Amino acid sequence: MNSWLRHQKHALTAALRRLAGQPVSTLLTALAMGVALSLPAGLYLMLGNLSRLAGDLPAQPEISVYLADDASAAQKAALAERLKQADVERARFIARDEALAALSAAQGLDDVAADLPDNPLPDAWVVRPRDASRGALIHLHDELARQPGVAETQLDSAWAERLQSLLALGRTGVWLLAALFAVALAAISGNAIRAQVLARRDEILVSRLIGATDRYVRRPFLYLGAVQGLLGGLAAAAVLAIAGAALRGPIEHLATLYGSAWRLHPPAAPEILALFAFTTLFGWLGAWISVGRTLRRVEAGG
Amino acid sequence: MISFSQVSKRYPGGHEALSDVNLQIDKGELIFLTGHSGAGKSTFLKLIAAIERPSHGVVSVSGQNVGRLSRRAVPYLRRNIGLVFQDHKLLFDRNAIENVVLPLDIAGVLRRESMKRARAVLDKVGLLAREKADPVSLSGGEQQRLCIARALVARPALLLADEPTGNLDAGYAADIMAMFRDFHQVGTTLVIATHDDRALAALGGRILHFDHGRVTEAQP
Ligand SMILES: Nc1ncnc2c1ncn2[C@@H]1O[C@H](COP(=O)(O)OP(=O)(O)O)[C@@H](O)[C@H]1O
Ligand SMILES: [Mg+2]
Repeated sequence: MNSWLRHQKHALTAALRRLAGQPVSTLLTALAMGVALSLPAGLYLMLGNLSRLAGDLPAQPEISVYLADDASAAQKAALAERLKQADVERARFIARDEALAALSAAQGLDDVAADLPDNPLPDAWVVRPRDASRGALIHLHDELARQPGVAETQLDSAWAERLQSLLALGRTGVWLLAALFAVALAAISGNAIRAQVLARRDEILVSRLIGATDRYVRRPFLYLGAVQGLLGGLAAAAVLAIAGAALRGPIEHLATLYGSAWRLHPPAAPEILALFAFTTLFGWLGAWISVGRTLRRVEAGG
Repeated sequence: MISFSQVSKRYPGGHEALSDVNLQIDKGELIFLTGHSGAGKSTFLKLIAAIERPSHGVVSVSGQNVGRLSRRAVPYLRRNIGLVFQDHKLLFDRNAIENVVLPLDIAGVLRRESMKRARAVLDKVGLLAREKADPVSLSGGEQQRLCIARALVARPALLLADEPTGNLDAGYAADIMAMFRDFHQVGTTLVIATHDDRALAALGGRILHFDHGRVTEAQP
């Protein structure tokens, strides 16, 4: 083992010994980091689960075209003719009686349907465009809306699209939040390290007098920050695991009520590792910033 | 080995602690620094170890201008110098032998080797039986010997001691001085600040007398 490795090992064991020597403050610092981090990390997981839910929805957009009650036969025929063109992949006609029957069967609304004096539903076409790009979709939608005899059209992808853009917004928010909490993490780490440096001022000053380099003095504190950050990551994972365990039952029950087999997805191993790497890095970074400043203060006798 | 050439030291906001000092110390010499409190003895030692830097002039150790050493180079200078302090500067969060191995840890010496060397030097200062002792549980004389063991464990060619017997009663002081004489006899260069005039006559060596920052040679 060369002397560089020996120094690393020495610094790491010194750091671990210092952490173990103050279990309460180590634990409290890890907890502070964990609680702070569980917010962006939990939000990240929630978004992941929501995107998964959104991904289960029909990807193919459809346009519903509702006919006016007073549409003439000629208008209906012209519309049917239009829907045979190449930009329509498939068009399905749903007669109003058929729609009412389907509604009462599907939703168990037969009582309601039976009570209705007239069928309130219009005739409709469900149109699947060939080109699902947004521009083409809107173009076709607008054209169909202008057809004579058409009362109303609806782009069924609209809400899915809205959900997608909300998710994208959420993801941006998560990263902003993560950046903010990274700063908080570094600050918590830096603060803990500052206290450690001040508590060891004698050792530092004596070590300097007998030939310790800056790096020798700094190294254990950097390891300290990194390990403290890692512990913070572990605490965050624990907080999320507890929250997940508490939420799983109610959420899946809710999904079942809506007829969905959707299940809460735990984070993947790479995501957990990324969390640990992230907290370790920022723990180290906070220590690095703090050690330099505090050492200068200690050596100036302040 | 050490040379001072037109060296002055003025602390910020203070008067001159050393004024125009010119002298040479050869390898293997035994030097005593005497003079009243505040005469500049500690400052003289601090300039050699680059703990302070001269305001004027050149302090050189083994051909290096230590007043102009970069911050990165200072630790390597200090590894060749053993420092003994009046207040020991021991670390009370670890036992005796852990205090002694500190310089070897810093130099990256193998743990097994450094423990061996620490035991050898503890034996030399008569503390081998107390290697596991807490420094607080040691007497003043023992603490000073522990400090000397730490200064010697890396086998420095130069030992600087700032009033090493200042806090000790006569018996302990004589022990410590006898120990320094032994190191001198094996070739270590020693510079010892003291106002313990009892020791000087017995040990021989060269005496530098300090008076308000001015240094004169005095033959014993
Ligand atoms: N860090 C310092 N800042 C300002 N003045 C100092 C400092 N250290 C020493 N002095 C002054 O320099 C002079 C010499 O001090 P010192 O070298 O400690 O003398 P000695 O060790 O002979 O008692 C004294 O007047 C002392 O007050
Ligand atoms: Mg002094």
